[in-house]
Amino acid sequence: METLATDEIIVERALTGDAEAFGELVRRWERRIFALTYGMLGREEDARDATQETFLAAFRSLRNFRGEAKVSSWLHRIAVNQCISRQRRVKVRSESALEDEQETNAGSFAMPVSYSPAHVVEGRQQTAAVRRAINSLPVELRQVVVMKEFEELTFREIADVLDLPLSTVKSRLYTALKQLQMRLQKFESRN
Amino acid sequence: MNERQNSPSCERAPDLIAFLYGEADERETRDFQLHLQQCSACREEAASFGVVRESIAEYRDEALAGFVSTPVAQPKTKSALAALRQFFDLSPLWLKGATALAAVTFCVVVGLVLFRDNSNHVTSTNVNPNAVYTEQDVNRIVKEALANQQKPQPSQPENEPQIVAVKYPKPKPKSQRPLSKAEREQLAAELRLLPSNDDTTFQSLEDRINQ
Repeated sequence: METLATDEIIVERALTGDAEAFGELVRRWERRIFALTYGMLGREEDARDATQETFLAAFRSLRNFRGEAKVSSWLHRIAVNQCISRQRRVKVRSESALEDEQETNAGSFAMPVSYSPAHVVEGRQQTAAVRRAINSLPVELRQVVVMKEFEELTFREIADVLDLPLSTVKSRLYTALKQLQMRLQKFESRN
Repeated sequence: MNERQNSPSCERAPDLIAFLYGEADERETRDFQLHLQQCSACREEAASFGVVRESIAEYRDEALAGFVSTPVAQPKTKSALAALRQFFDLSPLWLKGATALAAVTFCVVVGLVLFRDNSNHVTSTNVNPNAVYTEQDVNRIVKEALANQQKPQPSQPENEPQIVAVKYPKPKPKSQRPLSKAEREQLAAELRLLPSNDDTTFQSLEDRINQ
């Protein structure tokens, strides 16, 4: 049975000039990094760009990777920085623009056929509300909740990526969930 | 959002988070379950956070459903050596043999041609640079060369195209002999010219004009 090479071995191979190695790393982490960038940015297009930029930045700084942190933590840190710098560059999109985009992109999501149109509309509204709620969180709360909910990283992994104490990660996650709960309650009361 | 709304309702909020995400160990889990039975604030928060997490999960699943892995860029062109290697890997044995034979034959032919050209070149340039020629030797060599040039060339075979030299009429050579006096006078008479040294004739001609 073929054993999978660890990320660290793959990085070593990439450093010795193995052209395929970095591609393997991309394939391994692409989906999770995309999940992180999507959760952080809230737009598929931005998330794709940020994911691509993350791997480009990782490739450029491959020689600076000392192996002190795990490759996954290193990649996530780059991705978080990419998202933050991207959000600084790009103007915050208005709520209406998000809603318009949600309308146009909604058709691409695979919905069960058994759903009635009312269910579909309700689901879309709920999804849009969650997205708005996550996007409105401060960055330090959003990155924690996205890493936990989108990537299912452990508290320890999040603490490593963000270089925070474990207790801070837990308290930030608690605050994030509390704020999301209140925002979603407002949405439900309006509808 | 004010601070009081965000602040934990119970001091065991971190334990609630660890319990909710399944990161509490067995003892911590048992301990917090006991706490939940007594703390209504934690019970309410656990329930409401569960709903929030379900909503986030729905959003996440929908968002990531559209994810398509981007192909990693691969080198599009193969090197000639790699292409040749692949060709040999895929071709049958007889084709490999035929190709090898053709390659060897080609190499032999090219080698022969090169060797032949090289030997001709050496013959034509086989001149001793240290040789000393006297004037007589030079004259003899020139004569021999001229004699060789004057020898009739072997007739060309009929099949080969013949080169036809176009003959142009040669310009007549100018006479090198100067004209005699009689000839000059005759020529002057024909041209109705008077000899330049005949003063008497000039004088008579002038008189006639003055009259």
